[in-house]
Amino acid sequence: MTRIACLYVPMFPLAARLRSEPELLPEALAIVEGNGGAAHIVAATRRARTKGIRPGLSLAQARTIVPKLIARGRDPECERTAQEALLEVAETFSPRVEDDGDGVVFIDVSGMERHFDSELELGKAAVRAAEGVGLPARCGIGASKLAARVAAELPKSPTVVAPGTEAEFLAPLPLQRLTPALEAASTLQRWGIGSIGELARLPESEVASRLGELGRELHYAARGIDPRPLIPRAMPPEFREGMELEWPLVALEPFLFIASAALDRLAARLEVQGFACKRLELTMNLEPDGYHSRAIDLPAPTRDVKTMLTLLRLDLEQTPPGAPVVGFSLAAYPDRPRRAQLSLFGPAALSPEKLATTIARLISMLGEDGVGMPMTVDGHLSDRYAIATYSPPPPPDIHRGPRKSHGLLAVRIFRPPVPVEVITRPSRSDEPGEVQIVAIKSDGDIAGDVRACAGPWHMEEGWWRSEGAARAYWDVELARGGSYRVYRDGEWFVEASYG
Amino acid sequence: VPVTARSLDAQYRLLDLRPERPRPALVPDPPPVESPQREEVTKLRAALAGTAAAKVMNATELMQALEKVRREESLPTTLAAFDTLLGGGLPRGKMVELTGRRSSVGRFAVAISALAAATSMGEAAVLVDLGDHFDPQVAEADGVDLRRLLWIRPKTLKQAVMSVEMIAATGFQLVVLDLGLPPVRGRRVPDASWVRLARTAEAHGTALLISSPYPVTGTASEAVIVAERTRLQWLGRGKSPRLLAGATTELRLEKHRHRKAGETTRLSLQVVEGLPAR
Repeated sequence: MTRIACLYVPMFPLAARLRSEPELLPEALAIVEGNGGAAHIVAATRRARTKGIRPGLSLAQARTIVPKLIARGRDPECERTAQEALLEVAETFSPRVEDDGDGVVFIDVSGMERHFDSELELGKAAVRAAEGVGLPARCGIGASKLAARVAAELPKSPTVVAPGTEAEFLAPLPLQRLTPALEAASTLQRWGIGSIGELARLPESEVASRLGELGRELHYAARGIDPRPLIPRAMPPEFREGMELEWPLVALEPFLFIASAALDRLAARLEVQGFACKRLELTMNLEPDGYHSRAIDLPAPTRDVKTMLTLLRLDLEQTPPGAPVVGFSLAAYPDRPRRAQLSLFGPAALSPEKLATTIARLISMLGEDGVGMPMTVDGHLSDRYAIATYSPPPPPDIHRGPRKSHGLLAVRIFRPPVPVEVITRPSRSDEPGEVQIVAIKSDGDIAGDVRACAGPWHMEEGWWRSEGAARAYWDVELARGGSYRVYRDGEWFVEASYG
Repeated sequence: VPVTARSLDAQYRLLDLRPERPRPALVPDPPPVESPQREEVTKLRAALAGTAAAKVMNATELMQALEKVRREESLPTTLAAFDTLLGGGLPRGKMVELTGRRSSVGRFAVAISALAAATSMGEAAVLVDLGDHFDPQVAEADGVDLRRLLWIRPKTLKQAVMSVEMIAATGFQLVVLDLGLPPVRGRRVPDASWVRLARTAEAHGTALLISSPYPVTGTASEAVIVAERTRLQWLGRGKSPRLLAGATTELRLEKHRHRKAGETTRLSLQVVEGLPAR
């Protein structure tokens, strides 16, 4: 037996807008469609409605009633993302979900009785889940899409229509519940038909002969018969959030403030689906026209808003869009979050998500060159190094003991080498090289008479290139303490200290 | 059957059996099943204290018990002179400070050895290198597995302390903070920062080694070791010997919360062979 649940968001344009700007909820806010004199109200907040603002009023009329009325145009981007969020909530209950647009979603809940105590509990869970993504939805459950939709539109939520009682459920309801914008409504009113039940009691053939095919369908609907099957939608490949701004933004901070809210919503949607963000794409609509887009690859899939926002800030600071921003959308490429495998016998592995978040924060603080895995570089110069993305191999399965240290004298490399003045004397016959170092002079701490000095050792690298090096090295111990590696390459430099 | 069982139970109650005498049961207990245990499991159970082993019932509890045991282990640097002073190595969940003046040798060598030991065990380790003195070639020659090492190069002391705090909270088992040579880059940080670092290390079981040219951690550290009286060893005599062979330095236990201070050891280090320009 097919059971269908319908999630319905009343006044969807308003709900979608309030999801993006929740601070407007207590205000007298109206959502307007059309421009100039044709602008009319399509939805309004409770505060506006209590003051007499109704859908259908022109904006001028509404402003006459409430001068301080806040008017917002319908935002297709907000509504699209709100609908996506609603669909994602629905998909947490069943993989068979149909998108009916404008805040209406049908869910095939057949067989779900094993997971919930009753269909009422299922409906309550669905409403709670929708509220979790910022949408005040109602839920109705019935055997057909029609029954579920009508049940969802009732103020009491959730409403469950028991199997086989669709006709009884619909009978007392006014005809408008069936089809709100029905052309035949006036004809039926002239017949004295006010409720769905009264229509259902009429002979089907008589209604069909007078109202045509529409009448037959209407009569079917009135009897609770809805042959339309549920058509499941395909899974979206990406998650997108965004909005059009009321005024152009020039500064970074206000933009990040709005982007942060969008990222929050994005993270909530990703969490509902059990995904994390692997790649973030930002598209900004610029004033007067044009757009600017960029992509940020994350070190590992994450849902941490702070991390994503930090990376966004870093990226925008480095390459600003160059024009005021009037709208934006953020798209997250989903990926399964990585989980660390706990180990009984070996060292614990780091949590990839936690590691990615920490490294992203460190990069935002120190720059990309300041954090990473050190790598050696071919060549003989000590101050050469490379940094790669830190991605440690998994720890061994079995705990193993440490390898014994070689006990080597470490060197502290100076980057860049410290230029010094050196006083030398000619080498004696039993000493290598042409000169030996007697003293070092500099403005810094590396200065003084030399107690002992060994060298030189010659090193030549890349002589065939313009940036090649030809150095003579000495190891030097100063009388005041400290041991250094000094070299001459035209000028004298201290390359490292023994430490 | 239930009625019979109930009546039998009532009859046995009336018999007033003595407690030491086993009470007849309708269904006898099944014989214990001898499960073949892996050698590792047997060793693990043997490693646990008797009371803990009896209490461990499932994998989660076993991991918690192992974590407790692991916390009590030290992370050796494999430099006997240093490990002896600390009673086996760097204690996990504690902060140890190693200080030494510019002229002393050994601070960086101990740091590299600790990193080499930890990475050879498969642990992920971090070097926060404030002076930007780290040379990957030397470290690799000393046995550091560079793939497991995260190298952080902050510009100021404040950034360095913040990095250590972030990293310790991520779950790294060894974090080495080297403050470089004097003067230390950036201003001093408040003493409370070091207390916070010590607490973070304790909360996450991280062994934290602070290598600094002068004492900075105050009372927050578990132990303070001073490297002093360095002597370089030259091959050859006079002012122009032939080769720098190595160095010895004296390590003195300045402070320890659980050991008597004042103990000294001698650390011997040798020059890397096959380094550039050698």
